[in-house]
Amino acid sequence: GLRRCLISMDIHHIEEAFQEIKKTIQAKDPFQNVTILSTSETLHRIKPLDVCCMTKNLLAFYVDKVFKDHQELNPQILRKISSIANSFLYMQKALRQCQEQRQCHCRDEATNATRIIHSNYDQLEARSAAIKSLGELDVFLAWIDRNHQGTSA
Amino acid sequence: VAILPAPQNLSVQSTNMKHLLMWSPVIVPGEIIYYFVEYQGEYESLYMSHIWIPSSWCSPTEGPECDITDDVTATVPYNLRVRATVGAQTSAWSTLQHPFNRNSTVLTPPVMEVTKDGFHLVIKLEDLGPQFEFLVAYWRREPGAKEHVKVVKSRGIPVHLGTMEPGAAYCVKVRTFVKAIGRHSPFSQAECVKVQGETLPLTL
Repeated sequence: GLRRCLISMDIHHIEEAFQEIKKTIQAKDPFQNVTILSTSETLHRIKPLDVCCMTKNLLAFYVDKVFKDHQELNPQILRKISSIANSFLYMQKALRQCQEQRQCHCRDEATNATRIIHSNYDQLEARSAAIKSLGELDVFLAWIDRNHQGTSA
Repeated sequence: VAILPAPQNLSVQSTNMKHLLMWSPVIVPGEIIYYFVEYQGEYESLYMSHIWIPSSWCSPTEGPECDITDDVTATVPYNLRVRATVGAQTSAWSTLQHPFNRNSTVLTPPVMEVTKDGFHLVIKLEDLGPQFEFLVAYWRREPGAKEHVKVVKSRGIPVHLGTMEPGAAYCVKVRTFVKAIGRHSPFSQAECVKVQGETLPLTL
């Protein structure tokens, strides 16, 4: 898990960036009673051994899917989303170094949890799914924070 | 109608995680030139290359420089571009030749103030912002003295390092560490203070 793959994740400024746009983003979510990340406490059941793989999968989920499907016109919000997206890109690179040392193994638990999240996403129209996932960034960031106790700023 | 020339000689000067984009001014006699700065992080250039984001402070700006510190918020390469406008005229974009990454910032030895408060060795460090930690090394100035190290995260407020012995001299040096880029500055020059009175064994 991530304990063996400790990476320097400066989560604090990402949380700050998200807090500044959270209300606006969540207000745009047309399906308030539906969730993508927190269905049946998906993330909370992830064991330390699977944290690295799950972090890698969720970073990819946001970088390759969510940020792409979301089109933002407001410059203030665009700047914050850009800050988060580029920080996730940096975190992916850091995790990739870890992977090269073969400490980021993916077991079925992480793979299945990731599949649930993608399936939840695909049940919605792409833009709605993207805005909802952006609104749930605090769920992911809190989970990263909890699982990176040793390294956050 | 003369075409408005694009700004030239773009460069970034970055010191202690403050990043300043600069360029040569465009001159049109009798006119005020406004500049617009935009940026693209690696994410945008990889996945959304058509997306350029207006700089937080320089869309527009009058001077031939722009503080992009609040825009460059991740340790990835950033593309930067500038164009000039006067009235309805707009120049072409000029783009920074090489993407800028904040991990290239110049880290300078921090400014410190070493003082005595009675027998207490106290240090005050400049406030360089939330991304900076300070590694403070201090020792008693005598052969073979042990070097003590303290990591200081608080900024701009006095920090107690230790209790000194009468008649002894103590020295301090400090450097910064920026976790976001995983680099530290060189050490500052050592500064020493001496406590009045007789010399006794060290009790630090």
